[in-house]
Amino acid sequence: MNKFRKINKFVFSGIWFLDPPKDISVDGWRIDNVIQYTDVVITLYFGIVVLAMLYFIIKYRARPGHKAVYDRGDTKKHVGITLGMGLLVFLSIDVVIEGMSFKDLNEAFWNFPKGDDVVQVEVMPQQFAWNFRYAGNDGTFGTEDDLIPSQNQMHIPVNKPVVIQIAPYDVIHSFYLPNFRIKIDATPGMINTMWFQATETGQFEIACAELCGNSHYRMKGYLTVESEEDYNNWLQSLDEEGPEDEWEDEDDENPTRWGWAWKEAI
Amino acid sequence: MNSHNEQSFVSKYIFSMDHKVIGKQFLWLGIFFLLFGGFQAMLIRWSLSNTMEPLPWWLLGDILYQNSPVGAGIIGPDAYNQLFTMHGTIMIFWAITPILIGAFGNFCIPLQIGAPDMVFPKLNLISFWTMFLASVVLLMSYLLPNGTAAGGWTSYPPLSTPVGGIPGLGQVFWILALTLAGTSTLMGAINYITTIVRLRAPGMDYFKMPLTIWGLFLTSILNALFVPIIAAGLIILLLDNVAGTQFLIAGGKATIPGGDPLLYQHVFWIFGHPEVYILILPAWGVVSDLLSVFSRKPAFGYKVTAICMCTITAFSALVWGHHMYTTGMSPLLGKTFMFLTLLISIPSAIFFFNWLGTLWRGALQFDTPMLFSMSVMWVFGLGGLTGLYNATITSDIYLHDTYFVVGHFHYTMAASVMFGAFAAIYFWFPKMFGRQMNSKLGKVHFWFSFIPLNMVFFNMMVMGYAGHHRRIFDPTEYEFLAPVLGLNNLMTTFAFILGAAQGLFVLNFAYSLLKGEKAEQNPWKSATLEWTVDYPIPHGNFAVVPSVYHGPHEYSHPNVKERDWISQSEPMPT
Repeated sequence: MNKFRKINKFVFSGIWFLDPPKDISVDGWRIDNVIQYTDVVITLYFGIVVLAMLYFIIKYRARPGHKAVYDRGDTKKHVGITLGMGLLVFLSIDVVIEGMSFKDLNEAFWNFPKGDDVVQVEVMPQQFAWNFRYAGNDGTFGTEDDLIPSQNQMHIPVNKPVVIQIAPYDVIHSFYLPNFRIKIDATPGMINTMWFQATETGQFEIACAELCGNSHYRMKGYLTVESEEDYNNWLQSLDEEGPEDEWEDEDDENPTRWGWAWKEAI
Repeated sequence: MNSHNEQSFVSKYIFSMDHKVIGKQFLWLGIFFLLFGGFQAMLIRWSLSNTMEPLPWWLLGDILYQNSPVGAGIIGPDAYNQLFTMHGTIMIFWAITPILIGAFGNFCIPLQIGAPDMVFPKLNLISFWTMFLASVVLLMSYLLPNGTAAGGWTSYPPLSTPVGGIPGLGQVFWILALTLAGTSTLMGAINYITTIVRLRAPGMDYFKMPLTIWGLFLTSILNALFVPIIAAGLIILLLDNVAGTQFLIAGGKATIPGGDPLLYQHVFWIFGHPEVYILILPAWGVVSDLLSVFSRKPAFGYKVTAICMCTITAFSALVWGHHMYTTGMSPLLGKTFMFLTLLISIPSAIFFFNWLGTLWRGALQFDTPMLFSMSVMWVFGLGGLTGLYNATITSDIYLHDTYFVVGHFHYTMAASVMFGAFAAIYFWFPKMFGRQMNSKLGKVHFWFSFIPLNMVFFNMMVMGYAGHHRRIFDPTEYEFLAPVLGLNNLMTTFAFILGAAQGLFVLNFAYSLLKGEKAEQNPWKSATLEWTVDYPIPHGNFAVVPSVYHGPHEYSHPNVKERDWISQSEPMPT
């Protein structure tokens, strides 16, 4: 799938000489692809510009006997050429990446999965931790049997689509999964939605990408991707432990909508 | 203008109404804050690669942070957040804006359009002293017991309100200082626009103005339109901070319903995106002119360049949403903003090719201003092209709020604009101070700026591509960031070289000011009007109002014999 990665390595053996974190998502390749296509074309254009500049520096340097050619570059031909080059850049870079991006948004990132198969999680970040909430057996949020794991611990099953809905308690945070190439802001007063699907099991990091205060730098969570069986066992263990919802007592006055009703169909 | 000859010291040099003096005042202020903000960048780099280690003596470790809660001379997480907040704020509003817009706007506009002064000299005076007041308020915030603002240069609420948990009055001082600075900018903008519209010398049509003037003109229009918008945003933020209102507070910390933090983001970026162009347009103009001067041929496609700059100015007001792709924006809006953003690459590419066209078949003279101008082509080329990743929604979902964005905007705003400013300083220094800056030292300054700068800002983008998110006090916190730590240390080393190189500039500036070689009237053989008057230029500028016969870039014209330029105020021989 990563056809551009190959070209990329070939053309400039990876101009971003560090690799991004390992992609363990179903759709992360789409983002890698659009980045790598952009890498190739901008390297090409920037290379042409730099070569032209170097050539001009050598060929047209001021020296005895060399005179500049009086040329205002305002003839129809000149203007046509620069306009043409501007359009060429637009068509070869912008139009292509816009097409790729729109396609990916429609097919993947903004095409939310539906059905019983979907794992639903509510996320409520606060300064400086991540709270997660699972609907429990009744499949409805905001009820007695909601499951709330200890802070910063999110578990999901592998190879199943996961939809999160996120709203913070206090300030703006951003739920960032480097291994999935995605992030979504958590803004007080609104519920945002994002979905992803893991292809590998393991433990991965969740980072806060939006400055949220002095401990922003260590607002870290862990995403454990596990087999469906392990995941169900984990949910079961939460059920037995009972909820650890430190917010529950305040629910009446607390307008965070923690345990809000799931917003259907985006 | 006769009375101007008998002025006291105070009215001549301190509360002056002469645009040249005010321009120099802005230059001093800008250079002071450039060094101040630059020093903060050094502290940031130290903290990033030597987290929680005491500052060395050469970063004033024996003086700074002595009462730090994490140990004497050590930058803790609170101090780190304050540092990057103030570094961004100072570099944008107190360094770039005063140097390019304040200093060169004031100095160049009347001289290049053939006017005796700004149209409102008193407003000009008030503009500078408002900026001075803003600077005092800003600097006072460093004396507050809990330190300065720490919410980032964007100061998103609710973090920047009392519910955000940042102690002290730093944010309030930040808002007041920025509002005052905005007021100063607005007064300047009104003055510049009116001066350019009303006071052009006979014959100076819009399409005969130097491109520097075009850049400053468009910048001023953007300032006049969008500074009031950020002022509105700052005022509601101030009310939330001091008056107990909750316009921008929602969620669990809100006690009154109806507030919306997203409102501030829209207001901020409606101003914030044009702000990027506010900063870069004067630099584009300066570079377009200087490339022509030092290539000894007219600016290629002058009129097309000017029209492209106008187009970009118009578009800059329509694309703010691309800063907010991850806020949960509606798909229709997101796609619209993406399309509009990508459209900007057409005019940008066209005028970039015009720059190349200017060099093509010229006779290139590599004086210091030319080196800096050509380096703007390099850094702006890279900065502009890497903007594509951020304009595209899908790649931005990954790269947003990472060091990729930090690297990108340092290329476009910091590197392009500062190199444009350095080009301008080296170029106009002889007209401002009557002496030449040392050319050898200037070239050393150039190379020791250009190479380390790329090593820092390019690697920022590499780190961002590797996933490193922004505003992280201690990158060792995350396992996935382990691969970038080596690069982090390398960048710090180059950042220190870059910082030290600015010492060469200060040295050169101070030495040339006092002992530099006396400059001739027109050392660069430039065709624009400011070079037709002798230093020191009297208050009132031109003894006789000049008449303008042709465009600003008549170099190597075949009709002109014996020299390769003809001033705008000389009729073209036939």
